[in-house]
Amino acid sequence: MAEKITAYRFDQLDQTLSQLNKENCAIIAGGTDVMVMYKSRRGVPPKIPKPIVFIDHLSELKRVYQKHKDLYIGACSTYSELLENPLIPGPLKKAIKTIAAPAIRNRGTLGGNVCNASPAGDTLPLLYVYNAKLLLRSVNGERIVAISDFIQGVRRIQRERNEIVAEIILPSVMEEGAHVVFEKVGNRNADAIAKVGFAGYIRLNGAVIEDARFAFGAVGPTMVRSVDIEKGLFGKTIPLADTDIAQVVGAFDKIIKPIDDQRSTAIYRKTVALNLLRYFLSMNQYQHNQ
Amino acid sequence: MPRKDHKGKVSGQLPYISDVKVENMVYGVLYRSTIAYGRIKSIQLPDLPEGYEAVGAEEIPGPNYVKIIKEDQPIFANEWVNYIGEPILMLVGADLNILYDLLEKVKIDIEEHQAIYTLEEAIKQKSAPGVTMASYEFGEILDTITSIELKAHQIIEEEYDTGYQEHVYLEPQGMLAIYKDDEIVVQGSMQCLYYIKNALINALACGDDDVRVVQSPTGGGFGGKEEFPSMMACHVAVAAKAVKKSVMLVFDRSEDMVVTTKRHPAKLRYRTALDRKGNILSMSVDLFLDAGANEGLSSVVLQRALLNSAGVYKIPHFHAKGYVLKTHTVPNGAFRGFGAPQSFAGIESHMCHLSNTANIDPLEYKRKYLVKQGDPTITKGNFRDPILMEEMIKDLLNTSNYKKKKTEFQQDNQQNQRYKKGIGTSLFLHGCGFTGSGERDHIKAKVKLVKSKDDQVSLKISNSDMGQGIFTTLSKIVAKELDLPYEEILFPYPDTKEVPDSGPTVASRTTMIVGKLLERAAKKLKSQWQTGVEQEVVENYVHREMIPWNEKTFTGDAYPAYSWGVNIVEVEVDTLTGNVKLEKVYANYDVGKVIDDRVMKGQIDGGLAQGLAYGYLEKMTSKEGKIQQKSISDYGPPTSLDVVSIESKIFDNPYADGPYGAKGAGELTLIGGAPAVQAAIEDALQTPFQQIPVTPEVIIDSLWMKEGEEG
Ligand SMILES: Cc1cc2nc3c(=O)[nH]c(=O)nc-3n(C[C@H](O)[C@H](O)[C@H](O)COP(=O)(O)OP(=O)(O)OC[C@H]3O[C@@H](n4cnc5c(N)ncnc54)[C@H](O)[C@@H]3O)c2cc1C
Repeated sequence: MAEKITAYRFDQLDQTLSQLNKENCAIIAGGTDVMVMYKSRRGVPPKIPKPIVFIDHLSELKRVYQKHKDLYIGACSTYSELLENPLIPGPLKKAIKTIAAPAIRNRGTLGGNVCNASPAGDTLPLLYVYNAKLLLRSVNGERIVAISDFIQGVRRIQRERNEIVAEIILPSVMEEGAHVVFEKVGNRNADAIAKVGFAGYIRLNGAVIEDARFAFGAVGPTMVRSVDIEKGLFGKTIPLADTDIAQVVGAFDKIIKPIDDQRSTAIYRKTVALNLLRYFLSMNQYQHNQ
Repeated sequence: MPRKDHKGKVSGQLPYISDVKVENMVYGVLYRSTIAYGRIKSIQLPDLPEGYEAVGAEEIPGPNYVKIIKEDQPIFANEWVNYIGEPILMLVGADLNILYDLLEKVKIDIEEHQAIYTLEEAIKQKSAPGVTMASYEFGEILDTITSIELKAHQIIEEEYDTGYQEHVYLEPQGMLAIYKDDEIVVQGSMQCLYYIKNALINALACGDDDVRVVQSPTGGGFGGKEEFPSMMACHVAVAAKAVKKSVMLVFDRSEDMVVTTKRHPAKLRYRTALDRKGNILSMSVDLFLDAGANEGLSSVVLQRALLNSAGVYKIPHFHAKGYVLKTHTVPNGAFRGFGAPQSFAGIESHMCHLSNTANIDPLEYKRKYLVKQGDPTITKGNFRDPILMEEMIKDLLNTSNYKKKKTEFQQDNQQNQRYKKGIGTSLFLHGCGFTGSGERDHIKAKVKLVKSKDDQVSLKISNSDMGQGIFTTLSKIVAKELDLPYEEILFPYPDTKEVPDSGPTVASRTTMIVGKLLERAAKKLKSQWQTGVEQEVVENYVHREMIPWNEKTFTGDAYPAYSWGVNIVEVEVDTLTGNVKLEKVYANYDVGKVIDDRVMKGQIDGGLAQGLAYGYLEKMTSKEGKIQQKSISDYGPPTSLDVVSIESKIFDNPYADGPYGAKGAGELTLIGGAPAVQAAIEDALQTPFQQIPVTPEVIIDSLWMKEGEEG
């Protein structure tokens, strides 16, 4: 006989938060990571060791809106919903289109991708270069934390047991006019787990670089980003000199430390990560694309 | 006209074996070796709750091997284990949850021995006892080749590697043994009912009437359900006999990927003497197949690989030698193409590289050597039927605009630093049916048509529809001959109690050989037709007059007929990531005569997708005896976003001994994919490769090394 499981599905976020405050629960948004994580062998249902809380239906977690220059994305917005939404920046849509296939995109959520904290989470490189912040809510109120502080390692996040990620905030994204690229390298064009992910962000004033940000996925336990290396480019003009490009690529060469696994090799991942960076830095023109 | 199996499959109503439940049924789970090579010292079982039992070698009534060719594959390993994943025993009981827990508690002590993990290692040790499982050699006398080489302008040596390929049938393997007092009925996903029946009679040491094999709806086979299901059938049947209950064994995807047979990884060594202009003077091929832990069908796979080792070419002074070598890895087996895809990938690659040496367009170079009607085969047989390759090539050159594309791409590639385009070709054939006199001496196919009192006609044959469409095509043949509506012809899932042995569903033989027998049977039935009377007609295989095949000397006609194909593939390669994008795929085929256009298109699109992916996408690796890719996404077969629409055409070339002239089509369509895609990638990057799959990792490595050399 199947064992009994406890599952909650409240109408309101408040009730959900107070239950989370009482009991250590497994949060399920789309469930596309949770169900895989706890799956059993054939013929046996998944074994989730904690009571389950469903949050995917909570309207408080599904809103997408602009406030000042910032974009707020409800954590439980599904990929399919985001693809339909005109507020979502083009590069993020491009990244979403590379995720899984339509069925999973109908279930999977942006909040789930962040909280799952996989090195191969496909929205993460972009969220890092957007300087995304997370709005967490609990019975005690709200707090806001930078994504790079929130994600601490493979499937390790800085979330208290009673907290929910309510919104993902992309600061200033609505006005900045930066050039942003996203590239995913997978073994095939759908339903592939990234071998390398890359996001590049550049903002110019005329030909002068005001801001530059880079993030690499699937080449370490979390996204690789270095504010120090990025700062070295501020004030430089484009097209960048070969020596400047070589310096940035060389600096990342030192901190990107991928592994061999069943999907690819360390040397491949590193070479490709640096190729994509070099290519991005070598562009002669950068157009605003968000 | 709807396919016979359309409704059930499209509606999702059709029950596959894992959907079946019968009375008094328990599940089986297998305890598998975690050691690649070693001797079993002791087996310790946990306390088994009531209703739970262990079944192992001791419970086998007959000898402990799966009857295939050699007696080297234990049903349950009880002395030596030869690969990680080899079944040692089965636990049976009602609840899978409990069975999985019990499995964790089984303790088996195995004394580990030094394993051979790779084909490289096996080649080095090929003279050690037990490593070479089979070997064949034929062709030009080596002394003659040596003297030709002495006078040659240059000698080109190449070594070429092909990887694993996994079948990824949609439905994982599954088998059910239904226990009855007087018989065991084995039901499951399968291609070869009588292989299974013979294996069961052997394992159960029982009579012909004591076992019965019934095919259940089969969600894809590709050769993966040729010999492998025999082992699962033995497992469930032995268990059912032992516990006196019906036993179900179904794999989930990861178990299926890790323990079932795959396409043999191969190494091919070419040594070719050229004159000053790059013309071929002689060629020798050494071919090594990685059999994995037991021989299975590997010797037959090697035969087909060798028989195709010269491709579609008439090569002067050709010599071939091949080995099946043992490694302590998961056994490799039948896979659509059966050794030919490895050989064609190798020879097409080698010919392309020779053309570079000669500074001639690869296709032009290859055309110079094309075999023609009346030419001898490499085994001193004869290509006696018309060959349409030249027509098919010319047509495809036009359709694809090959020459224009080739120059355009070269110009575009100068401009575009990141993306490079390329175009490649492959020329290939496939010998239809069993090798040599196999159909006459071993298979001896027999078909039956049964007419009921109310004049309903049913096909009684042992061949499986596994999605390839024989329900439809064979019914069409019978309907046409009997002048009956196709809808009225019945083709029930075969059951060995009802059907004679019309042979296994393999080797591109079903339409050509079984279809022809059915055509004849239908003709006979028509001539004897008596309305309202029960009638039965039987037809037996008749062998075509050929040059007799001699397996010892490897001479004679290896196949009764050949199907032919030409592929042209365009790709775009991202030089930053090594990713390959298919842009266009063109294909022309001669399969004699098409019985059903859409079934044929299904074979073309599916076969090509599988063949192309073999060349650049699908990658399976084994590390210290363990398969690394345990999920479909890690292995990476193509999705609809990876394959482009395929422009294909069929050329009629009726063959007298096939129904309406039909020859084999199922395997042919796979064979040209990999070599064409490799050639296209080479054209794009102007770099030769010595292996398939040409993955992004291989490409980046080669581009990076090239830069390193220059810098
Ligand atoms: C077939 C398949 C293909 C896939 N392909 C891709 C791919 O290409 N790229 C990719 O990046 N991912 C892929 N995934 C992974 C997955 O779909 C994504 O990570 C998705 O974004 C997860 O969202 P979810 O809502 O389903 O998460 P869930 O499974 O519901 O949750 C994931 C984790 O986050 C926690 N969580 C979720 N929401 C919140 C919240 N609001 N607050 C606090 N904690 C929360 C959960 O407790 C859990 O630990 C794939 C998955 C499958 C099954």
